[in-house]
Amino acid sequence: MRNNEIKRTGLGARASRRVGNTVVYTVLVIMTVLWLFPFVGILLESFKAETSMQTTYLLPKRFGLDHYIRLFTKTDFPRWFLNTGIMGVATAVLQTVFVLSMSYVLSRLRFRGRRGLMNFMLILGMFPGFLTLILIYKVFTDLGLTMQMAPLGLIIVYCASSGMGYYVSKGFFDTLPKSLDEAARVDGATRAQVFYKIILPLSRPIVIYTVLMGFMAPWGDFMLASYLIHENSQGMNVAVGMFEWLSKTMVNTNYNMFCAAGVIVAIPVTIVFLCLQKYYVEGVTGGAVKG
Amino acid sequence: MASVKLTNVKKIYGKDTVAVQDFNLDIADKEFIVFVGPSGCGKSTTLRMIAGLEEISEGTVEIDGAVVNDLQPRDRNIAMVFQNYALYPHLTVFENMAFSLRLRKAPQEEVYEKVTKAAQILGITEYLTRKPRALSGGQRQRVAIGRAMVRDSKVFLMDEPLSNLDAKLRNQMRAEIILLRKNIDTTFIYVTHDQTEAMTLGDRIVIMKDGYIQQVGTPTEVFDMPDNLFVAEFIGAPKMNTFCTELVLEGGKYYVKPYGAKIEVTGKKAEMLNKKGVEGGEITLGVRPEHFVLAKKGDRGAIPCKIVVNEMMGSELHLHVTEENGDRLIVRIPTIILSDDERNALTYGETIYVTFDSKVMHFFDTESGKNLLV
Amino acid sequence: MKRLNDLDYLRLGRFQAFFYKFRLFFCLIPAWLRGVGRSVGGAFLRVFRGIKNEFVDIGSTFKYGNFAVRLSFFVFGFGNLFYGQILRGILFLAFELIFIGYMIVPSGGIYWLAKTRFFQTGKTVGTVQGGKFYDEVFDTEVWVAGDDSVKVLLYGLLTVIFIVAFIYTWRLQVKQCRICMDITKKGKKIKSGKDDLRSLLDDQFHKTLLSLPVAGILIFTVLPIIYMVLIAFTSYDAAHDGYSNLFSWVGLEHFNELLDFGSGGMGLAFGEILAWTLMWAFLATFSNYFLGMFVAIMINKRGIKIKKFWRTVLVMTIAIPQFVSLLYVAKLFDATGIIGKLLLEWNLIPSSMVAVNQLSLWQNPISARVLLIAVNIWVGIPYIMLIATGILMNIPKDLYESSRIDGAKPWQQYVKITLPYMMFVTGPYLLTSFVGNLNNFNVIYLLTQNNQLINTEIGTAGGVSVCYTDLLITWLYKMTLNSGESKYYMASLIGILVFIVVAVLSLIIYNVIPSTKHEEDYR
Repeated sequence: MRNNEIKRTGLGARASRRVGNTVVYTVLVIMTVLWLFPFVGILLESFKAETSMQTTYLLPKRFGLDHYIRLFTKTDFPRWFLNTGIMGVATAVLQTVFVLSMSYVLSRLRFRGRRGLMNFMLILGMFPGFLTLILIYKVFTDLGLTMQMAPLGLIIVYCASSGMGYYVSKGFFDTLPKSLDEAARVDGATRAQVFYKIILPLSRPIVIYTVLMGFMAPWGDFMLASYLIHENSQGMNVAVGMFEWLSKTMVNTNYNMFCAAGVIVAIPVTIVFLCLQKYYVEGVTGGAVKG
Repeated sequence: MASVKLTNVKKIYGKDTVAVQDFNLDIADKEFIVFVGPSGCGKSTTLRMIAGLEEISEGTVEIDGAVVNDLQPRDRNIAMVFQNYALYPHLTVFENMAFSLRLRKAPQEEVYEKVTKAAQILGITEYLTRKPRALSGGQRQRVAIGRAMVRDSKVFLMDEPLSNLDAKLRNQMRAEIILLRKNIDTTFIYVTHDQTEAMTLGDRIVIMKDGYIQQVGTPTEVFDMPDNLFVAEFIGAPKMNTFCTELVLEGGKYYVKPYGAKIEVTGKKAEMLNKKGVEGGEITLGVRPEHFVLAKKGDRGAIPCKIVVNEMMGSELHLHVTEENGDRLIVRIPTIILSDDERNALTYGETIYVTFDSKVMHFFDTESGKNLLV
Repeated sequence: MKRLNDLDYLRLGRFQAFFYKFRLFFCLIPAWLRGVGRSVGGAFLRVFRGIKNEFVDIGSTFKYGNFAVRLSFFVFGFGNLFYGQILRGILFLAFELIFIGYMIVPSGGIYWLAKTRFFQTGKTVGTVQGGKFYDEVFDTEVWVAGDDSVKVLLYGLLTVIFIVAFIYTWRLQVKQCRICMDITKKGKKIKSGKDDLRSLLDDQFHKTLLSLPVAGILIFTVLPIIYMVLIAFTSYDAAHDGYSNLFSWVGLEHFNELLDFGSGGMGLAFGEILAWTLMWAFLATFSNYFLGMFVAIMINKRGIKIKKFWRTVLVMTIAIPQFVSLLYVAKLFDATGIIGKLLLEWNLIPSSMVAVNQLSLWQNPISARVLLIAVNIWVGIPYIMLIATGILMNIPKDLYESSRIDGAKPWQQYVKITLPYMMFVTGPYLLTSFVGNLNNFNVIYLLTQNNQLINTEIGTAGGVSVCYTDLLITWLYKMTLNSGESKYYMASLIGILVFIVVAVLSLIIYNVIPSTKHEEDYR
């Protein structure tokens, strides 16, 4: 029998896989704990009835909604939340228009100066973008678009140059076959009709991805926002507002309230995100994966 | 229903990459023209210039007497079938076919009538409410053709429409296109790389290579009297055998001397050589595989060769043989003329003797590749 | 060095081949530089030739043009009107009238140009210093409004841009008139205004779609960046804020300041911060990349159950706003946070890390940096995991099957198949994420701002105290935040340097990653 001559190297396939899987499961469980720890921590801290910065325990001694109540009655948090929400919606809409126009044109239309435009934006992107705020802050101050009107100013700042972030959606448009456009044009469509009758209906994943990114941007932005808001509580977004609470002087009294606010902030973003997670994954990977 | 005329059409990419060179062609009304050639020969580019999808670098394209160079595709009144069908994935088959009518804001009754009529002809009525994703390759192909049919356009362009289908389906669709042509009586321009499609479909065939037209003619013309070596080898399968040999003129008679044999050129070919005043010398001789006949040792003009590969195709036998110099020839023999014993004798390593008649010879200039008789 | 042909190269052993390639790389540098030099030179030459051609063309247009074309050298759009392009003609003419009007009205273009005094070293930007002056009539101090340098410079810059646009438009309409004339001579029809409008939805559709985004970029990115570059040549800072105190043109003076490598000098600070920025970007990018890929492979491993659960756990971190989790984590590790306190209680923080009055991982340069990278891994892995999962699923299964038949072990499969494929597909992503990390404000600032660790060697530079953990971007941020110490000119200067660093690095990476060289390899 030839069978006897086959040498077995190491463990059998099944046994070695079992060992491997055990290791992997162990690692994954450890990771899950590490990744979930902050969320569980924030959640628990927010429900502590006591104010507890200097503690070494995580589980509340007494559960209570005290911090949530304080959040909505004694602070400007509702205002910040509203500001950020408005910014999120407005940015989502405008940014989508800007980004999709730019990426569609660069991906599917050919015209003189196309390469030049792309190179120009590439180079432009290498400047530290926020230095543009030196001027924008001055001008916006004159126009009254800072301080408590900062949300409006921020919407403009987020959206105006967003066309430069065309890469991911261009990657998506690149994957649609060119002959679709051609067939439609032969069928009698103008280029504008090709855009909204053929390409847009096919681009739902990337449209939703862009909307999602636009909506999430204001929730996490600290740098640009803090610059334009300039410590005016009425105009703050959640990031800038909540940042103050953790400064050395305020942290002891506001720590648990920060966690409560964190939970509130996470709710809308998480809901939107989980609903559209599929599209998000498609967008993120679509840009990097070709073919 | 229109004539198409191309005058000195040129396509240049970038600075100096020439894709199509001085393309001149008159396409008559209701003619079925096939552009054929190897990939990269400029046939698709030419078609796309007619469609308006590529800019015309030089020259003019006229449809029905009007220059259309500066017109958008939608203003040219053409219909086109694409290689990968280019069906709109988000629309149903019905809406796919109705798309152009909808853009023209045609009334619903007209849309319904035209689409269902086209669907009936193509046998896709039962799929009208499906999305293209749910169709097979052949069905998608029909939808693509149907979409072009409802246009009532002047010119019907097809860019390798069958190349994405498997061999069996391709044969079937080819026949259907011939039938289709009887139904929609219009001017067809059809691009393919497959010489069989070209021969079976075209009223006239345009054979292209490297951006140049090699020959324009009916299938019979290009098969019987290829202008040059390229056309000769491109049309016909398996391809024509060509070999360098000597043409001699002795006492008013022409002889060719392939591989030591000496064969007299008689009949029409001799007359034509005479008329052209060809004097002989080194030439390239072309003989189609099916024009070889088996001979016996010692027969006049018999060339001895060794069988290397024996391909049994059923109705015929393709023998790849090497001649003594090492030249490879292909010989095609109908199985019906062979007895079982004879057939069994044709195996690897056997020596056979072949010869051919002067009627089927093609004479080419070795250097330029031009047919000496044209 | 002798170049081997392909067959000789194949004969080399693994190490020989490596050394051959290594040497080849260095031997090719001069040639590469020569190539770059040549292409830059070529570009310059092309530009000059282009300019020359423009002038030649303008000359011949005037020479051969009819009266309408010639008149449109002075009256914008006259040629268009003459040839029936009413819409274009009116727009051109309106533009000219507005331009001339703007330039000559009081406090118009000429006024602002005169005030700005571009690049006149030593002169102030703006001419009237405002402030309190003694008024004799009312015998009291009054506030007299002066110029605001910031505004003067902005208006000056806008005027220059307007002039450039004017010259461009002039050229454009002259060219168009010429074309109109040529077309008419040939007896063809000229596009009407209606055609123009219609073509904006068809063959000029790109103009329609691009107008909004490009205008946004021009106004909110290009203009401010040009402005920022100009600032680097002025003395704009908190003391010379332009309003209470005019700032002035100083030429290249600040470049000297930047070259000061003494203690507390800008040169030293810049060097140190740049070094840490590069180190951070490198470590942050690659630690994320490889660990994220590793996690993706683990989850994708055959036989692992509830894949979706593991993935969702990680993806959750993307959904929750970064600043919440980052600030929370920052707190966790500081002296009063849970982990920080526990570490102290259990004496896990070595005494060598004891700072003056605070004990935490944030108070030691090394542990703070390590912690930053660790937290960044925590933040970044989910993204990479998502991308890697997508790509892993795209790798053809038969590659693995055939390599298994060839006898490859899992580790070998990873090195020979997975890794090259991933590197190939994600090359561009690596580049962008590297650049993104160079400017990763959020992670650094939010984690360290409440636990600043001042770099004692540098102290303050550019008007702000520099931390061990500061990146160029956070340094810049602090420098420009409106405090009493803001040095805007320095921020601008460093901004320019950051640009140069990023551009050079991108160029190098772009040339090294395989994706750009062998685009079709994996298709």
